[in-house]
Amino acid sequence: MKKMNKYENNRVGYLMGLPYIIFFLLFVAYPLIFSFILVFHKWDIIGPMNFVGFVNFSHLLHDSLFWKSLGNTLIFLAIHIPLQIIIALVIANILNQKIVARGFFRAAFFLPVVISGVVVTMIWQQLYSQETGLFNMLLSKISLPKIPWLISTKLAMPSIAIMATWKNVGLYIVLFLAGLQNVPVSLYEAADLDGATGVQKFLHITIPMINPTIIMVLILSTLGGFSLFIEPYVMTGGGPMNSTLSCVLYIYKQAFYFNHMGYAATLGFAVAFIIMIVVIIQRRLFETEIYT
Amino acid sequence: MLKSIKSFLIPLFGLIFLSESISLCAKDNVVRLTYWPSSNPEEIELATSIVDEWNRTHPYIQVDMQPLPASQSSEEVLFTAVAAKTTPDICSNIWPGIVPEFALANALVALDKFKDFWDVAFLRTTKNILESFISKNGHIYQMPWKGNPIMMEYNVRLLRDAGIFKPPRTYAEFMNAAKELTRDTDGDGTIDQWIGIINVNPVWWHRFFDFYSLYIAASRGRTLFENGKVDFNNEYAKDVFRFLQEGFKKKYFPMGTLQGNQFLLEHVAIQFVGPWDIGFLEKNKPENFEYDFAPLPVPEGTPEPILTYSDPKNIVIFSTTKHPEEAWEFVKFLISKENDLQLLKITYQMPFRKDLDIDPAFKKYFKENPKTLKFAKQISYTRGTDNIPQLKEIFDAIAQAFEYCCVYGQQTPEDAIKNATEICKQIIER
Repeated sequence: MKKMNKYENNRVGYLMGLPYIIFFLLFVAYPLIFSFILVFHKWDIIGPMNFVGFVNFSHLLHDSLFWKSLGNTLIFLAIHIPLQIIIALVIANILNQKIVARGFFRAAFFLPVVISGVVVTMIWQQLYSQETGLFNMLLSKISLPKIPWLISTKLAMPSIAIMATWKNVGLYIVLFLAGLQNVPVSLYEAADLDGATGVQKFLHITIPMINPTIIMVLILSTLGGFSLFIEPYVMTGGGPMNSTLSCVLYIYKQAFYFNHMGYAATLGFAVAFIIMIVVIIQRRLFETEIYT
Repeated sequence: MLKSIKSFLIPLFGLIFLSESISLCAKDNVVRLTYWPSSNPEEIELATSIVDEWNRTHPYIQVDMQPLPASQSSEEVLFTAVAAKTTPDICSNIWPGIVPEFALANALVALDKFKDFWDVAFLRTTKNILESFISKNGHIYQMPWKGNPIMMEYNVRLLRDAGIFKPPRTYAEFMNAAKELTRDTDGDGTIDQWIGIINVNPVWWHRFFDFYSLYIAASRGRTLFENGKVDFNNEYAKDVFRFLQEGFKKKYFPMGTLQGNQFLLEHVAIQFVGPWDIGFLEKNKPENFEYDFAPLPVPEGTPEPILTYSDPKNIVIFSTTKHPEEAWEFVKFLISKENDLQLLKITYQMPFRKDLDIDPAFKKYFKENPKTLKFAKQISYTRGTDNIPQLKEIFDAIAQAFEYCCVYGQQTPEDAIKNATEICKQIIER
């Protein structure tokens, strides 16, 4: 058999990698570079691009609605991430035990993850409806006052966070389950010999051992939270009084309602930068070494 | 044997080649146009019928009908198509608010460049309506096609049961009727019947059907701009905001989203809609469901006739067309008297045709469909939108003010209108 020389070998390698390289150039590199160019331009999609220098940055700094949307997104994250991690961890712990119909419950919790986000949002919109929603009808049946789930500026974002948690928690349950199954049983056996309680084992063995999973869930939830779009877009349109206007919804409005492509690209880069800062802070605060 | 096969196959291939060449030559002579109508079932039915007739009678100009691709709004689809230069030759679902932007981008054919444009246009449409669609550069890029005057639709039985025998005309009459009609019908302690329903979602285009229509009615036909300058910080706009704010404050309009068509379910007695709702109600209404139409409510002392928003949709030819003359011929066919009658029959929408309510060609139709006659009479008393490229942002600013002031009562009508006009001025100056 003829032996391939070094360069032929490289050629085959490049050929094998070509589909990904083409994909990367077309769908990652090109949009990214084009968006960066847009940051310094005013462009309405159909007209010519006009160079405006740093005008979009200056507009961003003075755009109160952008800062409000960022505040709203942080409120969403502050409710959604702890809620999601706690619920996912508790349920994963239960599903890691030898309980009846464990397979069924694992599948049931995962089901909302694979259902279309728009469908889930529309169902929850009906459930939350002020006058005819199921939740308020149940409250009325037991003589409790109706809750303005989506029409109160204080409650609309928490209501969306609850819905988003219900939708996504299944994925994190699966991740935590995988993490829990990797914790060596010998550690628990040793702790049992030392007389540790269940809570002590959970706090001093389980939590440190699944720290990488927690960090992963934290980062994925943060990225998912910053991408909040479908829920406010379908449920509230950003209202009431912009209290559910998320960063991505605001970017979408700027880009596709008003065709401010340059400004929308600037907002996109600003949000990406903010996400990077938040993730760095999270990693500094929560990441620990295992087996130290 | 081989020789005999050859002697058979060669002439056969020759014949096939010849017939294909003839067929290709014939195909080359056929002009093909693409036409995008709206994608709702009624308009697809209308477009199919019109295109079939055209293709039957015009073998050398064949039209391919493709409903507008699905999206949140037609404008989004058209913007994308203009950007990608994948626009059709003709589109008949154009909201005039988008035309200035398309015209600036040279995406449209100026229709007045066709020799017979003004003759055709004046024969069908009034001078006022045509003038309202002329662009700043003096050209006209859209053929006025149809309008849906926004009127007050009311449930006759619900009003009658509440002791109201004629629809409210003024804001005061509306509020008095609201007191009677908004109530808890099943005694469970919660309101389940309202006088009206207003969409509370702060999406810009929803405001066409409440604030803007009511503003045109209250101001007797003013639009948001005068000589290119923002001009709605006036008593009319404040009156409309005050009226809507009172309705929400006193819970005469429900908050949030309700499931199903509340007017059809008889949970709501009045709504502001266009003639398209007739088609929907006629198909879906239960037995003994009585409804009718009246002009929009106005402030006390507003003289007749009451004007409203026309919700116009026009026809354009995109500059990507290779066959503008043929496209223009098809546009003329679309707006012919026969097809206007079809438009009425299939969609219940009003063609922008002068003397529509008295034209003998439509007399029989209106006699058989008396409810649509009210819209035909109203169409002469309508206004569209201003020819301003930033119109979506302007309406977004109004939608924000509407939400803060009318829905949640966080601002006075005076402050809300003043702030909205200031924001609109900044949008125009930007």
